Amino acid sequence: MSVLVPLPVVIPLLGAALTLLLVRRDRLQRVVTVTVLVATVLVSAALLAHTATHGPVAVQVGGWIAPLGIVLVADQLAALLLVVSSAVTLCVLVYSIGQGMADGHEETPLSVYHPTYLVLTAGVTNAFLAGDLFNLYVGFEILLVASYVLITLNSNETRIRAGTTYVVVSLLSSLVFLVAIGLVYAATGTLNLAQLANRISALPEGMQHVLQGMLLLAFGIKAAVFPLSAWLPDSYPTAPAPVTAVFAGLLTKIGVYAIIRTETLLFPGGRSADLLLVAALLTMVVGILGAVAQSDIKRLLSFTLVSHIGYMLFGVGLTTSLGLSAAIFYVVHHITIQTTLFLAAGLVERRGGSTSLDRLGGLAQLSPMLAVLFFVPALNLAGIPPFSGFLGKLGLVQAGAVTGRPLAWVLIAGGLLTSLLTLYAIARVWNLAFWRKPHPEMPGPEQTPPDEDVESTGEERALLPRLMVGSTAALVLLGVALTVVAGPLFDISTSAAENLLERTPYVRAVFPGGTP
Amino acid sequence: MLVLVAVHAFAATIAPGLIRLLRQRALYLLAAVPAAAALWAALNVGRIHAGESVVETYPWVPQLGLDLAVRIDALNWLMVVLVGGIGALVLVYSARYFSADSPGLARFAVSFVGFAGAMLGLVVADDLLLLYVCWELTSVFSYLLIGHDSTRRSSRRAAMQAFIVTTAGGLAMLAGIIMLGQHAGSYRWSAIASALPTGGYLATALVLIVIGALSKSAVAPFTFWLPAAMAAPTPVSAYLHAAAMVKAGVFLIALLGPAFADTPLWQAILATAGLVTMLIGGGAALRQTDLKLLLAYGTVSQLGLLTVLFGVGTRDSALAGAALLLAHALFKAGLFLVVGIVDHATGTRDLRELSGVGRRLPAVAGFAIVAAASMAAIPPTAGFIGKEAAFAALLDAGEAGPLILAGLVVGSILTVAYTLRFLWGAFADKPGLAPTPVTPPGPIMVAPVAVLALAGVVVGIGSPAVDRLLARYADQFSAPSPYHLALWHGVTPALLLSLVVLAAGVALFWAGHRGHRVTLRLPIDGATAYERAMSGVDRIAVALTGATQRGSLPFYLGVILVVLVTLSGTALIVSAPWPRSVRAWDTPLQAVIGVLIIIAAIWTVRALRRLTAMLLVGVSGYGIGVLFILHGAPDLALTQFLVETVTIVMVVLVLRRLPPKFSERPIRSSRLGRIAIGVAVGVVVAGMAFVAAGARVATPISTGFADLAVPFGGGKNIVNVTLVDIRAWDTMGEIAVLVVAATGVASLIFRRTEALRRRARAPRPARIDAPRMPRWLMAGTSPEARRQSIIIQVITRLIFHIIVLFSVYLLFSGHNAPGGGFAGGLVAGLALAVRYLAGGRAELNVAAPVDAGMVLGAGLFVSVGTGAAAMLFGGNVLQSAVIDAHLPVVGHVHFVTSVFFDIGVYLIVVGLVLDILRSLGAEMDRQQQEADDDLREKEPA
Amino acid sequence: MTPNLTYIVVIGVLFATGVTLLLERSLTRVLMGVILLGNGVNLLILHGGQAGEPPIVGTTSNEQMSDSLPQAMILTAIVITLGMTAFLLALAYRSWQLFGHDEVQDDVEDRRIMELAERTEGPGISETDDAQDESPDQETVAIKAGGGR
Repeated sequence: MSVLVPLPVVIPLLGAALTLLLVRRDRLQRVVTVTVLVATVLVSAALLAHTATHGPVAVQVGGWIAPLGIVLVADQLAALLLVVSSAVTLCVLVYSIGQGMADGHEETPLSVYHPTYLVLTAGVTNAFLAGDLFNLYVGFEILLVASYVLITLNSNETRIRAGTTYVVVSLLSSLVFLVAIGLVYAATGTLNLAQLANRISALPEGMQHVLQGMLLLAFGIKAAVFPLSAWLPDSYPTAPAPVTAVFAGLLTKIGVYAIIRTETLLFPGGRSADLLLVAALLTMVVGILGAVAQSDIKRLLSFTLVSHIGYMLFGVGLTTSLGLSAAIFYVVHHITIQTTLFLAAGLVERRGGSTSLDRLGGLAQLSPMLAVLFFVPALNLAGIPPFSGFLGKLGLVQAGAVTGRPLAWVLIAGGLLTSLLTLYAIARVWNLAFWRKPHPEMPGPEQTPPDEDVESTGEERALLPRLMVGSTAALVLLGVALTVVAGPLFDISTSAAENLLERTPYVRAVFPGGTP
Repeated sequence: MLVLVAVHAFAATIAPGLIRLLRQRALYLLAAVPAAAALWAALNVGRIHAGESVVETYPWVPQLGLDLAVRIDALNWLMVVLVGGIGALVLVYSARYFSADSPGLARFAVSFVGFAGAMLGLVVADDLLLLYVCWELTSVFSYLLIGHDSTRRSSRRAAMQAFIVTTAGGLAMLAGIIMLGQHAGSYRWSAIASALPTGGYLATALVLIVIGALSKSAVAPFTFWLPAAMAAPTPVSAYLHAAAMVKAGVFLIALLGPAFADTPLWQAILATAGLVTMLIGGGAALRQTDLKLLLAYGTVSQLGLLTVLFGVGTRDSALAGAALLLAHALFKAGLFLVVGIVDHATGTRDLRELSGVGRRLPAVAGFAIVAAASMAAIPPTAGFIGKEAAFAALLDAGEAGPLILAGLVVGSILTVAYTLRFLWGAFADKPGLAPTPVTPPGPIMVAPVAVLALAGVVVGIGSPAVDRLLARYADQFSAPSPYHLALWHGVTPALLLSLVVLAAGVALFWAGHRGHRVTLRLPIDGATAYERAMSGVDRIAVALTGATQRGSLPFYLGVILVVLVTLSGTALIVSAPWPRSVRAWDTPLQAVIGVLIIIAAIWTVRALRRLTAMLLVGVSGYGIGVLFILHGAPDLALTQFLVETVTIVMVVLVLRRLPPKFSERPIRSSRLGRIAIGVAVGVVVAGMAFVAAGARVATPISTGFADLAVPFGGGKNIVNVTLVDIRAWDTMGEIAVLVVAATGVASLIFRRTEALRRRARAPRPARIDAPRMPRWLMAGTSPEARRQSIIIQVITRLIFHIIVLFSVYLLFSGHNAPGGGFAGGLVAGLALAVRYLAGGRAELNVAAPVDAGMVLGAGLFVSVGTGAAAMLFGGNVLQSAVIDAHLPVVGHVHFVTSVFFDIGVYLIVVGLVLDILRSLGAEMDRQQQEADDDLREKEPA
Repeated sequence: MTPNLTYIVVIGVLFATGVTLLLERSLTRVLMGVILLGNGVNLLILHGGQAGEPPIVGTTSNEQMSDSLPQAMILTAIVITLGMTAFLLALAYRSWQLFGHDEVQDDVEDRRIMELAERTEGPGISETDDAQDESPDQETVAIKAGGGR
């Protein structure tokens, strides 16, 4: 089984190399990329199945016994997130292929897009699997640099402006992370997470605070936790739709993942729990109010993204098994749904010619299919039952209620308020973009471009290519499936959470003979 | 039962298809689905009658106590009958109400059937979380149904308003449910009821749940959304806003009643809210000119009445409540359908325009009168037995009884009055008003009205049977009593009250009709309150966002850095363990270099010219390199020097295009701010470094490397062994980063697909046909090559190959001495850079006639491939093997597989530099040239 | 391990200057800030391992050797910084191509909302699209509904 562990990283990297070598062979590039991602999904699924029954698996890269070399560890949390993220990346890729084939790859030049996209995937998977602090940094760098390239694709004014903000802020976060690593190594003389679990708790209190603070800061920026979040809504919406979608789905969650991992493994006992809870509250409320203030669908969604990071922090900050389990469930839900919504927004932009609520209308009657593809995940995001968003929220609220602490109740109130305001923002989008009369400037079958005369259906297909609609629909269904299989999913997230809090399964997987 | 719910869901999903096939006739088919629910109830009446309860359970999310748990007692059974039966009738009616071409028919069908399913689930749920799930679903479908006429702004707003208000209430209710559930350890009502908390905790939970119930049933202070919801098509109003959804709140109160009845708070809230609503609603109904709105306010008033009755919580009041719940559903749904018919037949619902309709639609009028009789509580209707029971119940309902009773009587008087107003308005001949033209409706539209109206009478006459069923529910309440629902109890106070009410009602209608306005204004206007709240939210949102989302990169960076300083700074000051021993330096030379670096760094900040600044940065970089040497890190030093050089080359390439000086915006304050943050960060980071180094007690893991490097890594240079073997996984990731960075540079400079082709090599200038002969020592002949000095080009060509050879030597010797793939690659890259600087892009193409992307791909493939290959040979990923072989001629060969990995690294670094030269060098030249050519073309014109 | 004061001071200065440049608007300056910060953090990592003789087996005793692990990390960091430098340069050039300068612009949409905030207004989305095409009686419904009177 351990042979599978490195594959989610190795396969995409090899794929990236191939796509680079296959320059100018567009069809072949597509085939390679899709195959690679399918393979990644399968491997991840196998890993999940295995960890669910046998617990965490560790691999000593290059055969160097831990803690000398680098270890990759796949526990339930990592495996679960691997499955979801790889599945989502696959759908988004299909979507972007559809888009590229529809309009000649102007948005996504193949020779850049495919290799970069695969490297991004490798970075994501590496981050999930890293059992070594510095390797976690490398994983972050891989996916960040890839994201720099993707966000500035086909660079125009707005993308350069937004891209610059994104790149520089991310650079700062990487720098903070490096400083943290330098300090950790200076203080403990090791980078192996499992070993750090022991050595950090041996350090003096104050030193632990310093290290924890720096790590939280580094990850907080990536996860877009208020007040470190303002960069996100400025940068994400400008990228090509599929890029925005995959960023919104995955990148912030990796920050959250890193927070979960370090807070549970390296700094147990929830010393900074209250800090996290306050940050969670602010993130939820400030974020969602930001969404209410927007008049552009993509930006609005970006703000909801920030806001709902608060939910996950809430769960982490509770430092109870139920809270953590709910947070993990919510991460899974949010990866899927947020991606879906951005893909749907991409379709809206194609069909409506804009994502500004001032210039949209009548989409429900122009394209009922699109309406469904937006409405279902939108309700899901707003935490309307029976969808996964509600189940995750329910878990968090129950977890908070169990602790019975006043602060927890404040967060419950905040969380419920947030979901109401999310509904408000989303319903406004529906009222304006989908329900009212179509806006005169919107493109449509009735007004075909003069140069070529296409019959309405052909025009319609050009506006909403099958591959794009299909991949979005697939993600919508995946989101609904999360509701149906919520029971088993909660089983996984619960046992994942228990392992995290217990710590020993992880450590024992890395050091079967006990920690050196 | 759950199967029935599932059937609803399924029917909803296939509804669009059916509509496409059969248009509005599909609604007949769909009507069968809710009818099935009613049928189910009919078949199970015996069990309910016998006092059994039907129970079903399937697990869904047991971890959250959320299961598909169903429990059907008398009350639920009653609701199932109403939801199913009326749902079916209204669907049949709709098949005629809508025409084949009416827009959004499919959406109506889906939402309506979906709603029926959700409502069914709501009324049978035992798991309160499941109840909440269905509760919210009904809100969603009602949102879609109210907004049916979606291009009208009023319906959009009404839909949104109803959605937001009910959801807000629902969330409060959820919180309350969770409070109870957590305490009871289960979310089954059957379990919670027997494990209730006490004191403030219970009170809070109760209030939260009540808020939910009141908001759903449009009881004060949430009345306002219901009249607005009349923007929905009439069938929707008949079902959602008379029979089903608005009953959900009352139903919840009725369901929880038996457990909470004796909590004073519960009684107080519900009684007051209910009475206020009943009076306000009744008063408003009297002022309406739109028949539909008249009924809407009537509904509000009746919901208030029901809230009171279930809230009072005696056995008899509950019995009365149940009876009136049934009665109201029957007559109000019927009357709404009547309005629909009138609207259809005459094209208006305004009672000021309608006249003589009754004479033209006698059947409709007749049934309307029967239904209205029930509303006005005239025997022998269901309304009458209910109202009688209510009066009787309140006559002996303790000290609060009389007060409530008084309110109830007034409310009932209003009811009688607006009932008359309705009949008069809809059907009467109005003096001085021409008879309204009428197009008679089909029998299918009238039939449902007939069924509902007559059902009211049947219930009245069959009151004994009804009594036995509803008593099953009412008996759950404390204080059993002998009262029974019946048409005749003899001459009782209740009967007298009923007569008084009737008389007064008629008088009131007459008075109002004669023009004396009955004015009863709402004390607080919910609608405006809602509007205010929402626009308030909007303004707060904008204000807060404007404050936090400044859109300025320096601001964002500043915030992050300030957080850093506060977080770490406090940690340092408060509790950091400051080391006791400190050393100034390892060798004094460090200090000297340190000072140099410091000067260079500070000077960089002050520099005004780009080039100066860059050179100063370079100086500090080289200084760091020297520190590396002094630290005992030759590999680092070598790489650092090479990287600094490459960096300077790159920057110079770009600075060619940028203006030489920074554009100074001398804003002193912001400058000082930047410096302040900078200094603060510097101090904090230095402090942390100081503390961290002092805190070390454990031995570093790397101490083991020295002994293992040769036997396992097959190399003497530990750093290199670490890079290509011990931590090769990091290196693999890092080269991936390089590949992408290079790709990114190309993508930024070339941008479009076709331009990216130029990554390979620029096309040779056409006009020069180069002579076919060995010409590697000959100077380039391209135009820009001509501009460079010949000698330099020749020399560079001479030394080029020597440098490349040296780079290869570095690559292979790296495993045992300073060097390795990185250093080698950088050296080779520099050789290319020299070629380019000397001879321009043509020269670069001669030196490296390959696609940079290809080189990168090949490198990545080799390195990662090596790692994967190890797995194929049964080793771990990236595991290396030391091979010692004795070959003929060559002799002893010592060889480590990780060298392949390093070759990959080498290739990638070369590829990176090549890509940089092609993009930041050649392509920028080309773009510049194009720009110049454009200018030249413009000049003559 | 005892801290080395020279390193500490140099680290401090590199971070101070680096941050100061990072907060500038000119991308070139930002880039230089990044490079300075990169050097600073490398030195910080190096400071976390002991100094000594070059870690090459056979040239010296294992005890004399400098810690090789931080060196490996720094090497990785250096090279990544190289890649980032290249990318930032391209970015600076591109923004010079587009805007005629290499200064970071503020976000337009945020500016718009800040102006709304100064006027204490809502998001200001036009809902006034189809008020006119409401037939009168529906209009009255809307009004009555709004006020409940």
